[in-house]
Amino acid sequence: MVPTLIVSLGQPLFYLITFGIGMGAYMGYFGGKPYLYFLVPGVLVSSVMLSASFECLYGTFVKIVHEHLYDSLIATPVSAEDAVAGDIVWGAFRGLISGILMLIVAGFMRIFPASVGNVLVLLVLMGFIGVMFSSLAMIVTSMAPHFDFFNYYTELFLTPMLFFSGVFFPLDHFPPWMKIFAQFLPLTHAVEVSRAAFTGQVSMHLLPNFLYLLLLEIVAFCAGVKMMKRRVVK
Amino acid sequence: MDSAINAEALTKKFDDLTAVDGISFRINEGECFGFLGPNGAGKTTTVKMIHCFSPITSGSVTVFGKSSNIDNREIKMMTGVIPQEITLDVDLTVYENLMVFSRFFDIPRTEARKRIAELLEFVELQAKAKSRIHALSTGMKRRLLIARALLNRPRLIIADEPTTGLDPQVRHLIWQRLRLLKNRGATLLLTTQYMDEAAQLCDRIVIMHQGKILREGPPAALVADEIGKEVIEVRIGREEDASLIARLTDVACGHERAGDTLFFYCRDGRELMKKVVELNLPNVLNRPATLEDVFLKLTGRSLAE
Repeated sequence: MVPTLIVSLGQPLFYLITFGIGMGAYMGYFGGKPYLYFLVPGVLVSSVMLSASFECLYGTFVKIVHEHLYDSLIATPVSAEDAVAGDIVWGAFRGLISGILMLIVAGFMRIFPASVGNVLVLLVLMGFIGVMFSSLAMIVTSMAPHFDFFNYYTELFLTPMLFFSGVFFPLDHFPPWMKIFAQFLPLTHAVEVSRAAFTGQVSMHLLPNFLYLLLLEIVAFCAGVKMMKRRVVK
Repeated sequence: MDSAINAEALTKKFDDLTAVDGISFRINEGECFGFLGPNGAGKTTTVKMIHCFSPITSGSVTVFGKSSNIDNREIKMMTGVIPQEITLDVDLTVYENLMVFSRFFDIPRTEARKRIAELLEFVELQAKAKSRIHALSTGMKRRLLIARALLNRPRLIIADEPTTGLDPQVRHLIWQRLRLLKNRGATLLLTTQYMDEAAQLCDRIVIMHQGKILREGPPAALVADEIGKEVIEVRIGREEDASLIARLTDVACGHERAGDTLFFYCRDGRELMKKVVELNLPNVLNRPATLEDVFLKLTGRSLAE
């Protein structure tokens, strides 16, 4: 567990330090604060996304194919749906741990959410998107014939999403079609809520974001469980 | 005696392939029942349908009155499965593997601790309780799989090729344990390709081939009916067959040519041996008939797949 934790934590941390401090020195202020303050909320949710996804991609795949653990599970009263749901929650938990570690690191850099209430909002958000990204990853894992297949998902979906979601720079100057495109990306909405928690602007105007995330989460969870069941029970 | 397991026209299809083709059988409570057959015969698939791992395509099988595909959770509660592959969690120790597994059956922790201690003793792994899985030999891993299958004190124990790849000491240890379990009243279901295992452990067996049941019955009876008591193998060229068979027909009750050997089956080896010795044939072997002869006679000596 520790190696994958280091890897999925390492990437966001790396961005934070190199872009935040290195590039931030050359950039102007965003909403009255240095670039680093702009970067932290986005990188935080990214780390949750990556940790949860990797756990339900590679971690689950190993469990099915190499350790045949699912086979032994299904022979017990635990149903396939229970087993998959459990794996999703585990992935979300890993995501949450990543997020909390990032929060602590940000704390060391003296960057805090606007209030204790906002910390709670962030924790809820992280748990929430943890389940969502785990479920999405499960859908991919249910179809993967081998490890390499995951590259499609990580390189063509997760990594580009990092750049189109407002993590590194605001979306204001994007052409209209790109702005609309960004609205379909789950990370965009997570980043908006996260940023609001750090600047103290959490309010009802975030409702559409939450609703989008909620909808995607429900659909992804049901689809993930169903498709994995089909893969595991023959 | 009420049957523990009752299968009627049980069928399993995977797309175009019919793995199990409308088979019917009864297994009695407390007996050890074996499924024998070459690879691809459908034994593991049949057993997977019995313990509700694999959905049934058509037909039915009931386990202690509960229907597979419908009462899955109840059936799983009273079944223990010793799988063919090593399905242990390598991230956990021996003890932890058993504790986690007991949670799947809702066994309370104190009770689980007690059972784990008993079971580790049963399979002689007490010393290894805190070891990681990769530190165990294959034999130890298999013993752990047996212990794990018994956590929920199952009425039905399924052993899928339990001694494949094990050295003789461990094989005999496992056979002893399985026999002990049977004596304690469990119903035992075995799939195996080892004839000696089937002959040693099973009260009754079925021989399966290409999804169908060819023969059913106690091992000794099957051998006596199909083959006889003894077999004499004569390694001789094909040209000699006709004359040799003609000379031995009155003492042999059957014969078969396979590859470079001519097999003669008989009820009493002495008469046959006398004649063979008279003919002064080289390369002759006299041995008791075994399940392997039945198996090869019914399923053929060439590769099926």
